[in-house]
Amino acid sequence: MSDWAVRVDDVSKKFRLYHERNQTLKSAILRGARSRHEDYWALKNITFDVKEGQTHGLIGTNGSGKSTLLKCLAKIYWPTSGEITYRGRIASLLEVGSGFHEELSGKENIYLNGSILGMSKKEIDRKFDDIVDFSGVERYLDQPVKNYSSGMYVRLGFAIAINVDPDILVVDEVLSVGDEGFQKKSYERFLDFKKRGKTIILVTHNMPVVQEICDSVTWLNQGTMMKTGPAAGVIKAYRKSLD
Amino acid sequence: MSYLKDIWQARELLQNLTNREVRGKYRRTALGQLWSLANPIAAILIYTFIFSFIFRLPAQVGDPSGLDNYALWLVCGLLPWLFFNRVLSLGVDSLVLNGALIQKVYFPRIVLPLSLANATFFTWLLEMGVLVVAFMFLGAFVLPWLPVLLVVMIVFALFAVGLAMIVSIVNVYFRDLSYLLTIVLQFWFYLTPILYPIDLVATQSERLGGLFGTPITLLNLYQVNPVEGFIEIFRNVLYDNAAPEASTVLIALGWTVLSLGGGLLLYAKKEKQMAELL
Repeated sequence: MSDWAVRVDDVSKKFRLYHERNQTLKSAILRGARSRHEDYWALKNITFDVKEGQTHGLIGTNGSGKSTLLKCLAKIYWPTSGEITYRGRIASLLEVGSGFHEELSGKENIYLNGSILGMSKKEIDRKFDDIVDFSGVERYLDQPVKNYSSGMYVRLGFAIAINVDPDILVVDEVLSVGDEGFQKKSYERFLDFKKRGKTIILVTHNMPVVQEICDSVTWLNQGTMMKTGPAAGVIKAYRKSLD
Repeated sequence: MSYLKDIWQARELLQNLTNREVRGKYRRTALGQLWSLANPIAAILIYTFIFSFIFRLPAQVGDPSGLDNYALWLVCGLLPWLFFNRVLSLGVDSLVLNGALIQKVYFPRIVLPLSLANATFFTWLLEMGVLVVAFMFLGAFVLPWLPVLLVVMIVFALFAVGLAMIVSIVNVYFRDLSYLLTIVLQFWFYLTPILYPIDLVATQSERLGGLFGTPITLLNLYQVNPVEGFIEIFRNVLYDNAAPEASTVLIALGWTVLSLGGGLLLYAKKEKQMAELL
């Protein structure tokens, strides 16, 4: 049995739902620094391990806490209690093309975005051709990205992100960017990533995809963990709950 | 400590974001980077006309440099101020404006105000370069002071970026700060002896004596302002070509430690919550 790559240990996440929020000095002074809020637990006591080299799916209906958990995994949110530990370098793909500068050229944005995603300049140099190739925007590399079509924009963003090459990849529904040809290409790249023994955690509503590529699955419902374990069993239970 | 390590590891990102600011700013303009010189030049012309020609401020003679030129004397204080002003007024929005990015990707958030300050520092360096050339033409013995000048610039920049870090976080909680800051900076500018020499303040201060029955004088209040000390140092080095007073230097260093330390602590503490707060 291989070792775990990501350990989610009793993770809970509390948000404050503000009724009246002191976001201006006026309201802070008038109400005296109090603000009225209600605690809302988006995640409650989530515990699971993802083994090295496995693909782990997070499923659940809208508002189940999948995205919050994913953001915790991506270090964008920090759990209120509990702990997430990693073995290896982690990268997240929650949205493609965030951090592009409109006025800069495609080429400059590859370097900028690459470093935002945690790549060193050397790494980007090495992967530059691959990124350009994969995105298919070669002819427009010296154009500012604001002139790109929305398809080109996301393709370039995706091409950079998929080249980060982490040990653990955290993915939100980004496999559905670009046209059909590009989707196929990125799906293949994704499978290739899996084949090389990398760990993947993904959120998707696309059940056939989950069934095809996930080894294990965690099912969330309203912030609590309903079931976790080998894919087939959890998916079956989830489907049953929907009927 | 581990937080400083994170920042160090993000240095390439910092560099790229700085480039983004520097290159992205003057895209599609015919004069490009030269535009950054336009603002200070306009300000110098206006202030020199008003204060030297119309109001006839007393001559400021540099000791030992022997310089007697209001415009140059003014610039020594004005350029650092303009830098300070830009770092703060751009820095205050650095988190709020990058909210979308913060909510999608993890990276040390501190690189956002830092990269802005870096880009602004780069512009300031150009301005100061032009100023130094002007000084050399006018016969000031400024060359040996350049290393000192550079150190002072860096320390002042650290002071400014520390403050920018603090206000950028406070602005996440209270979005008013960004607007309030514009007004505060305006007061701050006129209450710092940049356009007029501090001697004039000293004269008034002596006339008034202790304020409201306390031994505190107007001059004392003026000298609480950390920027005042920095401006004095800049003028010592550039205009007078003399070493600044040790006490002034120590106070300036103290403020820098305070502001930078405060900024770093605040970031280390609040950084993890940024994505939710925005």
